[in-house]
Parts: sequence; structure tokens; C-alpha cells
Amino acid sequence: MAKAEEGAISGAQLDLSRQRNASADPLFRRILAVAAGAAGVLLLVVTGYLVAYSMPLWAIQSPLSFLTSPNWITGIQKADGSVLEVYGAASVIFGTAVTSLIAVLFAAPIGIFAAVYLVEFAPRRLAVPLSFLVELIAAIPSVVFGLWAVGDLSVRLRDSIEWWIASSIGRIVPWLSEDPTSPAADSIFRAGFLLGIMILPMIVAVSREFLRSVPISLREGYIGMGATRWEAIRDVVLPTARVGLIGAVLLALGRALGETIAVTMVIGNAEGIPSSLFLPGQTLASKIANNIGEASGPIQLASLVSLALALFLLSLAISLVVRLSLRRFSRIKAVS
Amino acid sequence: MSVREALLKPGVFDRRRARTDNLMVRIFQIAAFLAVLPLFALVFYVTIRAVPWLSPSFLLNNPLDKEPGILNAIVGSLQMTGLAILITAPIGIAAGIYLSEFAPKRVALVGEFVIDIMLGIPSIVAGIFTFLVLVPVFGFSGWAGSAALSVLTLPIVMRTTHEVMSLVPPSIREASLALGIPVWRTTLLVTARTALPGILTGVVLAISRGLGETAPLLMTAHGTNAENFLDFSTTMNAMPIVIYQYANAADERSIGQAWATAFVLMALALLLNVIVRRRTVNSRVA
Repeated sequence: MAKAEEGAISGAQLDLSRQRNASADPLFRRILAVAAGAAGVLLLVVTGYLVAYSMPLWAIQSPLSFLTSPNWITGIQKADGSVLEVYGAASVIFGTAVTSLIAVLFAAPIGIFAAVYLVEFAPRRLAVPLSFLVELIAAIPSVVFGLWAVGDLSVRLRDSIEWWIASSIGRIVPWLSEDPTSPAADSIFRAGFLLGIMILPMIVAVSREFLRSVPISLREGYIGMGATRWEAIRDVVLPTARVGLIGAVLLALGRALGETIAVTMVIGNAEGIPSSLFLPGQTLASKIANNIGEASGPIQLASLVSLALALFLLSLAISLVVRLSLRRFSRIKAVS
Repeated sequence: MSVREALLKPGVFDRRRARTDNLMVRIFQIAAFLAVLPLFALVFYVTIRAVPWLSPSFLLNNPLDKEPGILNAIVGSLQMTGLAILITAPIGIAAGIYLSEFAPKRVALVGEFVIDIMLGIPSIVAGIFTFLVLVPVFGFSGWAGSAALSVLTLPIVMRTTHEVMSLVPPSIREASLALGIPVWRTTLLVTARTALPGILTGVVLAISRGLGETAPLLMTAHGTNAENFLDFSTTMNAMPIVIYQYANAADERSIGQAWATAFVLMALALLLNVIVRRRTVNSRVA
């Protein structure tokens, strides 16, 4: 559209005094294009650097063993003088997956239900300030969440939810039990719960947009046929917005996977795959944050860069899935 | 009973449906309450812990002074975020304008996807990238810190600019072009001028994001006890770094300082967001 307009102008050229001004257009456009190109180039450079600096690791270890080995040994002098080095990311991948899943498990139902309340039931006087307050949570820096968890939330969780679960289900299910003599100072569960709080506003905000885009006539039709409000939500609103809601949860999942500092502060940063959710562990991001200062030599650095590369590819995959699925949603919207 | 009465009187099944309906509405309500609860809990708790440590000397002294404070961290945060915004605001706004006004459709689609990916880049990845590129050149420094923040704030400015520029009605552009005003002046003085509040919102959100980032700064600017005013070539302190480093400190005073710093940072972030979001939330609902 813009192109046609510009063509019309330069074609007219009735007023010669304007011509000098208009001749700045191609330059203007080129400057803007260069800026946009810079963003794309930056993304390529980031990818390139991550791949290049992870190379030294692939020389001594295959990507497959990197992803599947649970051991992370940065160099032990063996008896025969050789050095044992293994970089296995399985335990940090486990930690990342479990904390993010716990986060989504808590945040998805609460977030989607809260969004339903805001869109369907809350009077406007209440909906506006409530939405505003939820979005404010997203504005709080993650290090403040971390401090809050270290100073207050963590202990509360340990003495409430964690204790309830551990002393009931935990008696039967070993990975939900905790050491009764001394509960761990930090745990995977607490990191996951904190992440849940942090991603909640994102789920609420995105779900709200999609719930709102469900045409009002669909609800009215169903309720007009005698359905209750809940039945209309269950049978019409939620199914129609389903793809969008899944997109909201996926976006939040991507945020949870990459969250660094808050998780580092409460997860305990222990090596290996823990036997219970109520024991310390670590995630991809927390491992990088903890070890980058001590990395010595190209291989140790490469091992951490490889973790970053894995994290990057993961977030890239999520962006891709979200974009594709949401595009499908907009097509559905156009049809209905 | 008459047919009329039987029709009007709810049956057992209807009563159960009505009860379920009320129950579910109540559950939705509770969920909404739970969603805002953390905000109050967090703000309340941070404030309680911070108040005893907040004093003028805390804000105006450096960590090594007799009455330790966080002046160098406040200055460092503002300097690095400021420099990052000086870099990303012009580039991000220009790129956003290009994507919404001039880019061919396919380029715009690719551009939107690039923004998506960049917004999704975990901050630690941006940090390690800057660590690999700039720390070997400048060492741990304010330059590296600002660069890390730039990588993270660029897509925010691009996204908001792109979105608000697309919202400007075509008729405004057309009116300006019909008057014979060149495209570049129309874009800057008419379209971008109309979208200016939205563009500024993006810039403020980017500032807020930059102020709160921790992990990428730890591995680039590193933190320091010294104050360095506008000297980007050496290590620089920032408020999030102070909070992180003092969170598990052994002495009472350091822990108190972590809370007080968190209070200052939180207040700043909330303030920035209240200023810009009040308008956007209201206009979106209305």
C-alpha cells in the first residue's frame, strides 16, 4: 500500500519545489531498512557465536552424549595421568524441564481461569484494575522475586505445600518425599513454584486477549438455548479459544525455561539428578550463571556455551510453534 | 399442577446445573484473586524488610563509605540502561517503522518472526553472547554490560513501534501524501507523530526491562564497590547485582541492604510501568 502511495507522489511532481524533499525518500527508506536488517543480522551473529564457541566441545564429545549423559566432570586427573572430562547435560535438562512443568502446572489453570473471570464475569470497574495489577507482576525484576523467595516464600512453601505433599503422597511416592530429619534449604519444587508465579501474568494477559476475541454471538446463542454460563464457557468459549490458550501456555513455558536469576537463587545448585522434587537441583540457565565465572580453557567454556545453545534452540522452537499455531488461530477467527 | 407451573419450576437436574454454574463462577473468581495475590504479598514483604534500611545515606553513599550505600549501583544501573536505550531506541524505532510502513509483506513476516525469536531469547543467552564477543575486547566493563542490555531491549522497542505504527489509520497518511508532503516527512511528522505515545511506551518498557536484568550484567559488567561515573571501560555496579550478591550474605546489614535495594528497584520498575500502562490498559478495555 505504502508503495503505491509513494509512486503516486513521485509521479505527480507538480510542485517542483517539493522535488528536492521527495528525493530524500529513497535514502530515508534505505536507512530504515538497514536498521531492520541490523536486527536480523544480530540474531544471525548470536547464533553464529554460540555455534562457533561450542565447537571445541564437539571435538571431544558427541552432541548425543552431551544431551544424554548425567555426569558433568570438568577434569579429574586419573591414576595413569590422563584427564577424565565428561560434559553431560541430562541433569540440567531434567531440572529445566521439571521446574518449567511445575510452573505451568500451577500457573496454567489459575491463569486461564483468572482470564475467564476477567473477560466473562468481572464488572468493568473490577476488570480494569485487576488486569492492571496482574500485568504489574510482570514488571517486577526477577532478582526481586528471587530475593523474596530466599527471604520468605521458600520457607513458607517448605512448611506448607511441600510438607503436606511429603507427609501424605510422599510416603508412597519416593520422588515426592523429603528428608524428614532436615528438609533441604532449597528445592526444585520451590524454584518451579516461584517460576509459576512469574509466568502467571503472561498466561493471564495472552489468554485474556484470545478469550475476548471469541465472538459474543457464540455465547449468546448457546445461553439463549438454555445453557448456563459455565456450560457456555466449557462448550463454546474455551474450545473456540483453545489454540490461543495453548499458545499462551507455550509462551509462558518458554519464559520459564530461560528464567535465570530467580531460579539460581532458590534451586540450590546441586549436581546430578535428585531423587526427589523436594531436593536441590539445577537448570540449564542456573548452571551457566553459576559456572561462567570459573570456566577455564576453551573446552569448559564450550561446555557452558553448548548449554546456552541448547537453551537458545529450545526457545527458538517454542517461538516457531507458537507463531505457527497462532497463525492457524487467526485463520479460524477469520472463518467464524 | 398446571403445565405452566411445571415449566417454571426448576427440576432437580436444573438445580444441580445452577449449583455447578455458581460454583464454577466462584472458582473463576478465586483464580483471579490468586493471580493478584503474589503482587501484594511481594510488595508488602519487600517493603516491610526494606524500610528499616532506607535512609538518605543509603542512597547517597558508596559501598565502602563508613555508612555504606548503593549510590554506585544506582548510577551504574542508570548509566548502562541509558546507554543501551540510546543504542536501541533509534535502531528499534527505525526498524519498527520500516516493518510496518515499507517492508514487502514477506519481509515483514520474516521481521515479525525475528522479533518473536529475539523476545524469546533467554537473558542468560544474551549475556553469554556478549561475554564471548565483548569481554575479550573490553574486559568486564560498562560497555559490555550496555551491549548485553541492548540485545535484550532492541526487540521490545521494535515490537511496540511496529504494532502502534500499524494501528495508525491509513487515511491520515493518505491525507498528508495528498497534500504533496514527501513520504519521509509524512512518516516522521504524521504517522510516527500519531503513534508517538505508543512508541514511547515501548521505550519505557525497554528501560524497565534493562533496569531489572541481572544475569547478563553479572557476566559482563561484573559489579564493583567503586563508583565510576561515566567510565564504561571498567567494571560497573548495578542494583540487581547488589541484590543478588547480598541476598545470601552472612551479616544482617548486607541482607538489609539487599532488601532496601530491591525496594528501590521494584519501586522504580512499578512506577515506570504504572505511568505507561495506565493509559494502554484503559484504552484497550475501552
